[in-house]
Amino acid sequence: MVERARWILLAAAVAVLVTFLLVQKQSTDVSYGQAPAAKDPIPEGSAGELSGATVPSAEQLTALVKASPVVRLPGSIATWDDRAVKAAAGGADVRILVAPPGLKKEDSDRVHDVDAATVRVVGTEVSGGILQASADRADEWIHQFATGDVTESLTTLIAHLNHQPEAPDQPALARRDPTAAELAAATADLRTTGRFVAPGATLKDAPATTAAFPGAQPLYVALPQQPADRPLVHFGPALAREFPGRPIVVMYGSWVEYDGPSAAAFADVATASFYGQFGDRLSQYAYPQRNVLGAWLDRVTAIRYAGLFDRPLPYVPFDPLRVALPALPWLFAACAVGFLALSASRVLRPGRPGTGAGVPARLAGLTALAVEISGLTDGASAASLTRGITRLTAARAAFDENLPDKHVHGLLDAAESELDTTAGLLGRADYRPAAFLQGRLA
Amino acid sequence: MTGVVWVLAAVVIAVAGCGAVAVPRLRDRDLRRRTAWSAARAAIESATVSRDAAAGTRPEAEQLLARAETIAAAHGGPRAARAAEDHARRADALWQEATRG
Repeated sequence: MVERARWILLAAAVAVLVTFLLVQKQSTDVSYGQAPAAKDPIPEGSAGELSGATVPSAEQLTALVKASPVVRLPGSIATWDDRAVKAAAGGADVRILVAPPGLKKEDSDRVHDVDAATVRVVGTEVSGGILQASADRADEWIHQFATGDVTESLTTLIAHLNHQPEAPDQPALARRDPTAAELAAATADLRTTGRFVAPGATLKDAPATTAAFPGAQPLYVALPQQPADRPLVHFGPALAREFPGRPIVVMYGSWVEYDGPSAAAFADVATASFYGQFGDRLSQYAYPQRNVLGAWLDRVTAIRYAGLFDRPLPYVPFDPLRVALPALPWLFAACAVGFLALSASRVLRPGRPGTGAGVPARLAGLTALAVEISGLTDGASAASLTRGITRLTAARAAFDENLPDKHVHGLLDAAESELDTTAGLLGRADYRPAAFLQGRLA
Repeated sequence: MTGVVWVLAAVVIAVAGCGAVAVPRLRDRDLRRRTAWSAARAAIESATVSRDAAAGTRPEAEQLLARAETIAAAHGGPRAARAAEDHARRADALWQEATRG
């Protein structure tokens, strides 16, 4: 029992040690010699961001810009408030070249290299000289991505280039509630298919389920880029009243809005983080709405699982190793101490090689026999008796020394046979040990 | 800190394991040695008794007993004890034979 416990403790100690050693695996992922070859970069246009538009040659572009203060290439989407831009220019000669979004790299570079133009606009990306204007607030992003209105970027950049004072901020985009007819058209489609795609929108399909809204089927409304000079139809709140409890995602061009459950908790965060990261790319390229929507939903998923805003963290399975790791050395030490204690008890246990069963009785009997016949012996029988007594003395010493039973009995056997010989020499059968001891015991 | 615990515990396990094996083995060897010497001493004493009782002298037996006593005086291991016992037994047998005539 003790022995088994001892082995179990030793096995436990070894298991703990092996576990500890396995956990020690360092994960510094340094690669210098074994650096793998870089994967093929994502080919341009694989996300459908190219519009297929082309631009004239650099010479033609320069000629066009020299001929007219504003050159709009076919397919351009950017618009602006002319009066605000003129005010920002302050009378200086400003030449604006507007190119469509989704140009190939070399076409885009060609547009950017037209030095005759004060300001180049590719898609809704505004640059001039060595500067580039970028929107950084939701108020500006909605102008830029929902309506293609780049007034704010243009005025900021032009004022900067002409050393003019900073232009006043563009007024916030006007919104209006949808009319009854617009709302009826949208709700009818949403009730039947779960999405409403207005004419001109590029949303071909929408994900059936998404991790961004687990357990809920979101409603998608896709509208093309909206005119900049008219109020933007505010579908979200109206649809939220229509479909209470459903997540509602409304797209105006590349601008995504959310209404529905816990909109206050994450909608602003999602907008800031999504357009803060992707605004630059969305402004230059013509991504289909489906791709913008997918990226936006991924961002919402990331936010949902980030554990922000006191949301309960997703369930993480209990990992006993993680919990036990700090206790491992002490477990090991406990096993070691237990093993030591059991080993010590095993070694120190008062062990007697023999039980000593029957030895004292035999010793006493034979000694009594020797004493009994000692008076009768002479010559040869005396020698035999003395030898027997010697053996008896040795057996007695061996018994006192805790020597094995077998050895003690061997000495007693020898003594018995000597005494037997003695009795034979004396001619006294009653003093033969077998008979004598039997008589004593009886 | 925990490193010291690991090392100390490992040393404790090693010591306990070695001790648990070595101590019984040493004890067993000592027991066998004492047993063998107990038997050897008994044989030598028995031979001494036979010599005292014997009538004539047996040089061969004297020699054997002397050798046995020399071995016993040197206090060797179990093998030496068995050799001494063997010599003493043979000397004893020779003297007993001489006594019987």
